[in-house]
Amino acid sequence: MPQIHTECLGEIEYQESSVFHFPFGLPGFEDERAFLFLDRPGAEPLIFMQSLATPKLCFILLPILAVDPHYELFLEDETAARLGLPDTGPRIGTDVLCAAIVCAARRPDDVPTANLLAPVVVNLKRQIGTQAIQPGARYSHCHPLFSQEEVATCS
Amino acid sequence: MLVMRRRAGESFLIGDVEIQVLEVGGTRVKLGIRAPESVAIVRREVQITKNENLAAAQSVSQGVISSLVRQLAH
Repeated sequence: MPQIHTECLGEIEYQESSVFHFPFGLPGFEDERAFLFLDRPGAEPLIFMQSLATPKLCFILLPILAVDPHYELFLEDETAARLGLPDTGPRIGTDVLCAAIVCAARRPDDVPTANLLAPVVVNLKRQIGTQAIQPGARYSHCHPLFSQEEVATCS
Repeated sequence: MLVMRRRAGESFLIGDVEIQVLEVGGTRVKLGIRAPESVAIVRREVQITKNENLAAAQSVSQGVISSLVRQLAH
């Protein structure tokens, strides 16, 4: 089985069939096209999104509904088509994995935040993913975890 | 912030960049942009997402993971 030595999670063995493809990468990481979605015993509900090409690149994710139980995912037709999803709203957890990227801290005293503006959305059957930026100003790119206070350093 | 009213078909200039209002719909405005090739044009939310992704990627460490797990357990 192929292995990668990651900075964040140590040595990882994986199967080719567990690789998720991001045909356009992510904003800021356009060349990162393949990721593994991993969990770690004791670290639930955190999801680790590990790059295959760059061992030191790993995002921490939280299932979107764990951050906001009422979250409503919107997908542009074009995005749904790109992911091979039906036009009717995909069900989170069944059709798609929808998770927010966590920014642990910009500075030492900052509270961790989750990006609800641009969740990672993955078609679980086809294993294709993208970052689906939500229209309008409904969701924040730096939603504070563990605190209802607005984050002053959010930028 | 400078505010101006424009109708469909009208345009304005920011330096070398021309922005034309092509169509005004219910909740959306369609704009055309004419700019030199050296000018990067990015939707604001994509730029925000890019910055946020870069910050998130840099924020990950073993210590941060343990701390998040602790806080989530509360």
